Amino acid sequence: MFDFLIFSLTIAGIYAIMALGLNLQAGYAGLLNFGHIAFAGIGAYATGILTAAGYPALVGACVGVLVAVVLGWCIARLGRQLGADYWGIATLAIAEILRTVATNEDWLTGGAQGISAIAFPLGNLPRPWGALGFLALVLALLWVLALASQRLGDGRFGRALRLMREEPKLAACMGYDLRALKSRAIMAGAATTAIAGSLYAHYMSFVGPDYMLASETFMLWTMLMIGGMGNTVGVITGVLLVQAAYCLVPFAKDSLHFGSDIAGALRIGLIGLILLLSLLWRSQGLIPEKLRKIQ
Amino acid sequence: MFQFLIDTLVRTSDLALVALGLSLVYGLVKFPNIAHVQYAMLGAYLSYFFQAAGVPMALAILLSCCAVGALTLVLHLLVFRRLLRSGPAITMIGSLALAMLMVAFTLGLFGSFPLMFKLPLTAPLQIGEVRIGHTQLYALATTVLLLVLFSALLFYTSTGRAMRALSCNRALAAASGLNAENITRLVNFSSGALAALGGSMLAMTSGAHVNLGYDMLLPVFAAAILGGLGNPLGAVAGAFLIALTETVVTNLNFGWLLGKPVAFLPVAYISAASFLILLLALLFKPYGLFDREVRRV
Repeated sequence: MFDFLIFSLTIAGIYAIMALGLNLQAGYAGLLNFGHIAFAGIGAYATGILTAAGYPALVGACVGVLVAVVLGWCIARLGRQLGADYWGIATLAIAEILRTVATNEDWLTGGAQGISAIAFPLGNLPRPWGALGFLALVLALLWVLALASQRLGDGRFGRALRLMREEPKLAACMGYDLRALKSRAIMAGAATTAIAGSLYAHYMSFVGPDYMLASETFMLWTMLMIGGMGNTVGVITGVLLVQAAYCLVPFAKDSLHFGSDIAGALRIGLIGLILLLSLLWRSQGLIPEKLRKIQ
Repeated sequence: MFQFLIDTLVRTSDLALVALGLSLVYGLVKFPNIAHVQYAMLGAYLSYFFQAAGVPMALAILLSCCAVGALTLVLHLLVFRRLLRSGPAITMIGSLALAMLMVAFTLGLFGSFPLMFKLPLTAPLQIGEVRIGHTQLYALATTVLLLVLFSALLFYTSTGRAMRALSCNRALAAASGLNAENITRLVNFSSGALAALGGSMLAMTSGAHVNLGYDMLLPVFAAAILGGLGNPLGAVAGAFLIALTETVVTNLNFGWLLGKPVAFLPVAYISAASFLILLLALLFKPYGLFDREVRRV
């Protein structure tokens, strides 16, 4: 039970970092990124490939962040002339192409089997302490990144992004370069998410193409929509709520004797239901973003 | 060569009806409905359900089309109309939530194992060198028939003219006294029914399975975007183009490039081919191949 709690909290922490990355793009800048999980996948694969080749964990994480930032730049370039919904579909397609490549290029990514036996950084500590130490590492990183994202959101950059989201023409009139703002938001989000992907690969000691399933992106969106887009506290609340719902499913499965199909259905259905209800009755999320009104 | 053409046409008919419905609805409500491909999945399961209950195949499909059409209408009235007040982005995410709910519902009710229709086994037809299954032939014929009927509806009746007017300029159409709400309802119903028909016909060969909708999502969107969202017959042309590319990618022997006698692309890359077309289309022709409007940015 204690182990399960630590496991759930660690996973929640990692998802919270990914959600913070998405929040930079979707929450502050209003960009419909439906391929966000690709950044996490790149972080995870960079870690898997490089640690398997014998490089230290930090190199893997750094390369993952770099590649993700480059991909973010390319996606932002692609979005220059597209409407928001068209761009959303394009990001979905990019993530699916990357997943197809990861599934098929055996020489690089291990194909559908993925890469296993990635070193767990604190694996040599006695039993509860390794997992606890990793949890502390994840939470510390989350804290730092949440603070940074809060500062970024409240500072000049975040205000410019919000202005771009609400009144793009006014922002352009005030001399902001909208394209540069968008690409910077996407690149910052990509870097954050790649760190989370790298952590995930270390924690699971495994990376496979299933990490990049589109449903993962949709789950991150659910977390954001429930908690409140554009609000750091709201994002973390949403992550905790969704993760709690996910953790309850195995218990329900055991106590009510479901099959695994029903448990899977329950998991997807629960997220879909919460998302739909929160959209219908509270589209700002539980903890809405505070916008200053200009008199 | 003929086999190649037939393969392309069969794949086109898999995608065309669903893409057509998607594009049709987009023209009126202006948001890409991600749940649309799940209507096809629901239609396939409902057809299976009715057929297993003893209803003849054609009637089972008809019943399932009506049921899914009604569901589409109800969802439009209860969910999408409400969400559209908060803008297209929110509505698109809402359609995502609905898609998840539908998948969860079918997964919980029918399980993850594909359900095959109980159809009499027949040898595929052999015309010259071409092989085609009976069900595929029926599906192809039905699709062609429906497309002809639909084009007639769209271009030669007053309802069709009203649909085109509404998708072109909603305010102007409403000002000229068209009943926008009624037409939107009609279009929603028929798009759901068309999706259910497409899904059912696809399921006659592949079986009804939970991923039927998700597997179609990107090819169908690629087809609709290639044709220009809101242009229903463009979506059919887009579906043909996607099918053509997929068939070329699977059948092309490009061994001469590598100096080997035989070299085919791995089958798993077929889906990536249609995503790639989607990306190229978005890069160079974001408003579809048949876009003649001049836009100011």
